[in-house]
Amino acid sequence: MKIPNKDGQVEHIYREKTDKRILKKNPWRDYKLHGTVLVLVIIAEIIGTIKIPLAKDVAITIMPLIYTIILGLVFYLAKPVTWIQRKQARIAEGAMMLFIGVLIAKLAVSSGQSISLIFQMGPALILQELGHLATILVLPIALLLGFKKESIGMTNSIGREPNVAVVVDKYGFNSPESRGVFAIFIIGTVIGTIFISFLVTFSLSFIPLHPYAFAMASGVGSASMNAAAIGPTLAAFPGLETQIEAFAGFSNLLSFCVGIYIVIFVALPLTEKMYNWLEPKIGRDPIVPEKEDE
Amino acid sequence: MPDLIDGSENVTVHGIFNWILLLVIFSIITVIGNNLGYKHPMTDSLVGMGILSLITLAGVWLERYLPFNVSSILYISIFGIILAFPGMPTSDFVLYYVSKVELLSIVTVFLAYVGIGMGKSWDEFKALGWRAVVITILVIAATYYGAAIVAHIVLVLTGVPAV
Repeated sequence: MKIPNKDGQVEHIYREKTDKRILKKNPWRDYKLHGTVLVLVIIAEIIGTIKIPLAKDVAITIMPLIYTIILGLVFYLAKPVTWIQRKQARIAEGAMMLFIGVLIAKLAVSSGQSISLIFQMGPALILQELGHLATILVLPIALLLGFKKESIGMTNSIGREPNVAVVVDKYGFNSPESRGVFAIFIIGTVIGTIFISFLVTFSLSFIPLHPYAFAMASGVGSASMNAAAIGPTLAAFPGLETQIEAFAGFSNLLSFCVGIYIVIFVALPLTEKMYNWLEPKIGRDPIVPEKEDE
Repeated sequence: MPDLIDGSENVTVHGIFNWILLLVIFSIITVIGNNLGYKHPMTDSLVGMGILSLITLAGVWLERYLPFNVSSILYISIFGIILAFPGMPTSDFVLYYVSKVELLSIVTVFLAYVGIGMGKSWDEFKALGWRAVVITILVIAATYYGAAIVAHIVLVLTGVPAV
């Protein structure tokens, strides 16, 4: 495993991963994988959206996208499913990096269609990027749970690929900070997408924010989480599809372009300051939650 | 440790061929799902997926071909925005066919691949303690609410009516 170097290799992680998987093997030939995905999609679309009413005007919506992601994971983990193995998962991961493009293209078309609206909402779109700094508020909780320097890596950002690269670049591969961001990365990979779709469904029912605010917030800087967050938002505001897609897409683009610089120049220094200030006050005995580097 | 970064290779004709076939497979699955879930006619949505796949292909190809250190996401976004820009000669055509592909249909297929791909991290995931799970959940929620609340405040302050 190579460590990203100083001269701005941060954004290339996606590319290298995709190339490695896609250019070497013939990923399209893996009919087991694509056949399984087709079956999952057919099952999901046939079941369709399920609405569970909780109270008057409040309902939890479970959408086909939840079924496919959970069934995909179950198929990989289930013992009887012998045709989906590590090899298929690696191809799926590489293919996914390419398919992000289709998703981005669809969102971009909506953005282009509503370009004047995007300029009107410019201030909100730009300032909400700073809202992502709210992750630092989790730092005290991490300290109370017994994390030490790991907490800096854990709470400076949402901990996706670009953020991992930034932290590893700054603190070194074997540092506690990097262990922290790796932990968030792995857990986010496994539960993040499912969690955010429930979080959004729940928030749409109970928290009265502007529909555009929900749309903008779904651009959290991870394509799969973005996708999972837009789903319920679209369903909740029928008639606003184009605007919601436009804002979600543009906000994701902003997260991608400026988000990384906010992390480097604002979030990380701020997290460190908070840590130095709070750790002597509320730090606990260190726990060693993860095994040492192998 | 998660296997995050591997070596990369150069673009070859063979590679582009692989991309095209993968995008064709992805398009077919999406069109079937789109037809089942939203009853859009298959031929129209297939053209829509064709347009989106071409934009993607152009983006990933330019990322590797041009000497700038810029991600394909940026190229893809710029192409998509320009093609759909009001007044562009392409915009009516692109908007008509792309609107026949629901975003949710794309997302449903995309997340099936994500689901299978993330299984790979399952063992590493199990090795991490519950404390780290708690922090991850809080971090994701904080990112989402932070952005949503700031956006809401700015929208209200700048007088955007709730639609």
